[in-house]
Amino acid sequence: MSDTFSYFLMAWLDPQLLLLTALGTLAGIYVGAIPGLSVTMAASILISFTFSWDINNALALMVGIYVGGVYGGSRTAILLNIPGAPSAVVTAFDGYPLAQQGEAGQAIGLSTVMSVIGGLLGTLVLAGSAPYLADMALEFAPRDYFLIAILGLLLVSTLSGKSLARGIFSVALGAIIGLVGMDMVTAQPRMTLGSMELLGGIHYVVVMIGLFGAAEAFYQLHNLNVVPVKQKVDKIIPPLNMVLKYLPLSVRTSIIGVIVGALPGTGGDIASLFAYDHAKRTVKKPSKPFGKGAYEGLVAPETANNAAVGGAYVPMLTLGMPGDAVTAVIIGALVIHGLNPGPMLMIETPHIFWFTVGNLALANIFLLLFGLTGIKIFTKVVEVPKAVLIPLILVLCVVGTYSINSNMMEVYWMLGFGILGYWLKVFGFQTGPIILGVILGPLLDKTYRQAMSSVGDSGSDFLLALVTNPLSLVLTTVIVLVLLGQTPAKPWLMRQFRRH
Amino acid sequence: MSQQFERVQAGEKAFDWLLMLFSIGVLVEAYRIDGIPSLNSPGAFPVGLALVMIASSVVILFSHRRKRRDPRIRDARHEFQVFWKEHFQPHIVVFTLVAVAYLVAIVWFSFYISTFLFLALLFIYYRQGRVLSSLAIAGGSLAVIYVLFTVVFRVYLP
Repeated sequence: MSDTFSYFLMAWLDPQLLLLTALGTLAGIYVGAIPGLSVTMAASILISFTFSWDINNALALMVGIYVGGVYGGSRTAILLNIPGAPSAVVTAFDGYPLAQQGEAGQAIGLSTVMSVIGGLLGTLVLAGSAPYLADMALEFAPRDYFLIAILGLLLVSTLSGKSLARGIFSVALGAIIGLVGMDMVTAQPRMTLGSMELLGGIHYVVVMIGLFGAAEAFYQLHNLNVVPVKQKVDKIIPPLNMVLKYLPLSVRTSIIGVIVGALPGTGGDIASLFAYDHAKRTVKKPSKPFGKGAYEGLVAPETANNAAVGGAYVPMLTLGMPGDAVTAVIIGALVIHGLNPGPMLMIETPHIFWFTVGNLALANIFLLLFGLTGIKIFTKVVEVPKAVLIPLILVLCVVGTYSINSNMMEVYWMLGFGILGYWLKVFGFQTGPIILGVILGPLLDKTYRQAMSSVGDSGSDFLLALVTNPLSLVLTTVIVLVLLGQTPAKPWLMRQFRRH
Repeated sequence: MSQQFERVQAGEKAFDWLLMLFSIGVLVEAYRIDGIPSLNSPGAFPVGLALVMIASSVVILFSHRRKRRDPRIRDARHEFQVFWKEHFQPHIVVFTLVAVAYLVAIVWFSFYISTFLFLALLFIYYRQGRVLSSLAIAGGSLAVIYVLFTVVFRVYLP
C-alpha cells in the first residue's frame, strides 16, 4: 500500500517530473486550442523526441499534453467557434453562442472547472477498476484478446466516420501497414514488395506523424486565409453556486465519459456527443435553450471528454489496447521504452500504472491552474496565422521522423503517408482508425494464430470455442450485434423486439 | 415522398475505384506470402485483411448508387475541372512542391540551410511578399528549433 502511494506521488514530489507535467499541460492547452494542431499530432511527434528520455519523464510530458490538449480544444470552440480538437466540436454548440452573448469568460471558467471534475473522476475510476480488470484479463485466452481487438476496431469503424465500410477499410489498411516486414514466427517477408528496406517493417511512429502531422498540414491549407471572429473575454472564475448547480450533471456525464472512453477504439469526441445527448434528454429546464447558449450544453461535453481520458487508459493499461488515437500513440511510447502494456504491466511494472494515475491527477490540478489564468496571452497565441504554422508543422514532422532512426527514407515515407492521409481525409476516411489498425494489426495476427494453434488449426473447433466459452460467447454476441446494428436488418430486429 | 440524396464529391468515385484497385494489389501481394494459406500460416491474416478491404471497397462503390452528383457539375470533364480547382489550388501545389524540394535539399545541403530556405520561401509566398518580417520569422523559428532539439530534446537532426 505504501509502495502504491509512493508511486502515486512520484510525479508530485520530484521537481523535474512536476515541471514536465506542468509544461506538458500548458503546452497541451495551446496545442489543443490552436486549430490545425492536435493532441495526437503532438503526442506522435513527441514520441520520437523522447526516445532517449527516462520513461517517467516521457510519460509525464505526454500525460500533460493529453490532459491539456483535450481541454484546450474547448477554448477556441467557445471563443472562435472553431473546435481545436474533435472532442470539442460539441462544446461549440452552446459555447460559442455564450461568447456571442458576452459570457465567454464565464463559459471558459465553467468549462475549465467541469473539465477538471471530469478528469479527476475519470482518474479515480481508472485507479479503482484497472487493477481488477487486469487480474481478470490474466484469465483471458488469446481467442478473447482477438475478439476484444476485433470489437475495438469495429467500434472505431462504426463510430468515427461517415460510413461503416469506410471505417472498416481504414482499419484493415492500418492493419496491413502494421504487418509489413518479417513474420515474427517464421521470419518470412510479408507485404514487403520484395524490398529489403521494408523487411524491418514500417515504424508506426512514421505512419502516425505522416497521417496526423503532415496530412493535417496539407488539409489545413484549404483554410489558410480563414480569419476567426474574436470575442471579448471578461472575468473567468465561475461563482461557486454556479459550479454546485451543474455538479450533478457533471457527475452523470463524467460516468458517461469514462464508460465511452473505456471502450477500446472510442474517445472523447464520441463521449462528448453522448453526454450532450444525455443533457438534452434529461435537463427539462436548461438555463437557455440548447444550441443557444445553455450552460448545460457546455458542462456535459466538457466533463465527458476529460473523463474519457481516464477511461481511455483502462483498456490501454489492462489489455494493451488503445482507448483512442492518443492512447494508441502512448502504447507506442511504452513499447519503445521496453514496457509491455497489458495485464502483465500491473505485475511487472506496477509503478508505471500508479505513476500514470498520480500523473493524471496532477495534470488535472495544473489544468485548473492554467485554465483559469493567462487568458489574455492565450487569445494572442491562438491567433498565430496558418501561413506561419503550417510550414512549421512540416519541419517538426521531418525532425520528428528523422530522430527515430536517423533515416531519410523514413522521412520520405512520412511525407507519402501525409499525402495519402490528405486524400483519405478529403474523401471521408478517418485517419484515427488507420493508426489503431497499425497498432492492433500485429496483435490481432498474433492472437489469432495463437488461438488457432490452441485448437489444432481446426476452423470448426475455433468457431465452436467462440460459442462454448462464456466470455468468448459474450464478446462474439456483442460483435454480431454491433455488425447487425449497421445493416438494414436493424429496423426489422427492433420491430421484432418490440412486438415480443 | 421526396428522397434525400447524399452528394458525391468531385473525384470521390475515381478515388474509391483506386482504393478498390489498391485492395486487389494488396490481395496479390498477400497471396505471394505462401499461396493459398492454411488457417494458421503467415499469409492467412494478410489475405483475410485484403479480402476485408476488397469487400469494403465494393460496399463503398455500391454506396454511390444512393448518392447524387452536385447538380452544378455538368459532365465528367467538368467534374475533373472542379476537382482540379479544389485540390490543386496554387498555394497547395506550391506547398507540396516546395516540401518535396525541401526533403531533397536536406540531403544535399545542411538541415539548417534547407529549413531556413523552406520556411522563408513559404512565409514570403503565403504572407504575400512581406519579405523582411518573413525572413525574421524564419530565422527566429530556426533558432527555436536549434535550441529545442539540440539542447532540450537532444535528438539527431538530418
